[in-house]
Amino acid sequence: MRAARLSPGGTPRTPRGRADSAAFPGTPRTPARISALRLPSARIAIVILTLIAVATAFGAVLAPQSPLAIDPGALFQGPSPRHLLGTDYLGRDELSRLLAGTRLSVATALEAVGIGLVLGAPLGIGCVFVGRWFDFAANRVADALMTLPYLFFAVAVTAALGNGLVQAMLPVGLLLAPGYFRITRAATLEFGRAQYVEAATLLGASKPYLIRVHVLRKVLPTITVTTATLTGAALLSVSFLTFLGIGVQPPTPTWGGVLSSDLNYLNLAPWAPFIPGALIAVTVGALNALADAFRDRAGAGTLALPELTSPEASAAASTVPGTGGPVTSEEVADAA
Amino acid sequence: MLARLGGGLAVLIPIVVLSTFITYSLGALSNSDPAATILGQDAATPAAVAHLNHVLGLDRPLLVQYGDWLSRAVRGNLGASYFTQIPVAQSIGQRLPVDLSIAILAVLLGALLGGVAGTLAALRRGRWFDRGVTIACSAVSTLPAFVVGIILVVVFAVGAHLLPANGYVPLAAGTTGPWLAHIILPALALSLQLAADVARQLRTSLVGVLEQNYVTGARVRGLPFRRILFRHALRNAAGPALVIVGNDFPVMLAGAVAAEAVFSLPGLGQLLLQAAQNRDIPVVQGLLLIVSGFVVVVNLVVNVTLSVLYRTEGVSA
Repeated sequence: MRAARLSPGGTPRTPRGRADSAAFPGTPRTPARISALRLPSARIAIVILTLIAVATAFGAVLAPQSPLAIDPGALFQGPSPRHLLGTDYLGRDELSRLLAGTRLSVATALEAVGIGLVLGAPLGIGCVFVGRWFDFAANRVADALMTLPYLFFAVAVTAALGNGLVQAMLPVGLLLAPGYFRITRAATLEFGRAQYVEAATLLGASKPYLIRVHVLRKVLPTITVTTATLTGAALLSVSFLTFLGIGVQPPTPTWGGVLSSDLNYLNLAPWAPFIPGALIAVTVGALNALADAFRDRAGAGTLALPELTSPEASAAASTVPGTGGPVTSEEVADAA
Repeated sequence: MLARLGGGLAVLIPIVVLSTFITYSLGALSNSDPAATILGQDAATPAAVAHLNHVLGLDRPLLVQYGDWLSRAVRGNLGASYFTQIPVAQSIGQRLPVDLSIAILAVLLGALLGGVAGTLAALRRGRWFDRGVTIACSAVSTLPAFVVGIILVVVFAVGAHLLPANGYVPLAAGTTGPWLAHIILPALALSLQLAADVARQLRTSLVGVLEQNYVTGARVRGLPFRRILFRHALRNAAGPALVIVGNDFPVMLAGAVAAEAVFSLPGLGQLLLQAAQNRDIPVVQGLLLIVSGFVVVVNLVVNVTLSVLYRTEGVSA
């Protein structure tokens, strides 16, 4: 419904129409990323993410007080002009700790997403162009990785590699890779079989040219949406790992760490955990909203990220009769 | 059914071999020297370390060690903790019921909540209830389970003193009350995400099914609406939602491990955290093997059951 809204030029803009025009360089079009930003939800998300980015870059400088300064005279205080978000069990300023903790939390989330992107996306494109054996092997590796529950695996890896946030996010990145791999492969399969690609192949286009000109451009929106979603997932993982005390030494502030220390004193300050909790939720929500807005606008060409489940899932999904109506005669015959 | 199961198993073999190998390699990746750790600083002479490494089998090639470990694991022997000497299988066996209770209850709650909300939203499409469900689903999907858990603790345990905030009581014969009271909050925290997914999926497919000709046909024939909804529409619309429920069960098990942290439950997650801190590699490997094995087996069973169930039901409908 949204996709059929009029573009600034006044012509009805359908996803199909845009995909066609993109095949002919020089045809004017409104990039999906620009029209997506016109949605109110996307605007709010961008404002939130900009604030988070500022906190990531300058958090430690912006913090009104030292995040480590202990004040025994001001334990468990509620919000006040001096401590805008109150103080924790050592009298440390909650706002300062959250601001100072943003960089570590966001940077390690981006580390995991970066690892996932670099490992997963090129392999996903490669699968379609290299050959069937490669496709088979890469898919089995992705399936195997998907059986490892990632937070569990992340904690296990810190047992082997040492207790550090960088080490802990390495496996999270590794386990995000199958997500990128699947979605990129699916998108590449879809676009790689288009008639114009066939035509280009017949005209003698090389594989690198095909990938660069015809595939990469089409797959990029999908990768962008996936990145937004997976960054949210990675941020949740970081928060949870730091919440468990993995990867950081106690005085260092992180979002999850603040949450965890607040949780120990629920009887004294029951409202305190909601501040870091809300911060995490709002940031992840903004990333999801941005992904949704972009997906809405990019239309049919953008695939949704599939559930991170085993290979059997997709097989079962295809064998269960879909949403559409009664059992067909084919299915009856098949079952009999 | 058997052929389907066999086919599924054949595909699983390379997956299981790979994921167990990754799990086992964790030990080799760590440059911690278990023999030196076990012996302690004073007793760790080079000769003693070499001897203990030989006893533990750590001086053999990695692939040999892996094969040995896997063949023993298949027979239920996961080795023993480096530190406590307690068999890993025993520690896991003691703690698994905690996570299983939470995961199973969470799946039931999620399916129930999501099913009711999704059905009502589809029936009242476009009205306030539908919008409410949609908004609630979006809100829930941005809230991580451990934050939901904290909210529940604050509201029900700290605020209202209705339920215990932490701890676990095993299920004893005759009394389910204390057991349920201790796991209901973690299960509820975990179930909301599933409920949101199910509600969204069910609403979409039910709206589609209710517009089908055979539903109109049933109405024209004068069948009571309740009968149309349950016998015709829901039966056909529930498929994708059921797939979500089935596939979420293993995810729930991993989630239960997360919920333990918030509710201080003595489950697999706490065992893992302890083992990771002590670099107790056999415990970590055993846990990872059990949990990922569980994911694989439950996925297989759920998917085979769903596909078989759906075929036969479809024919009889």
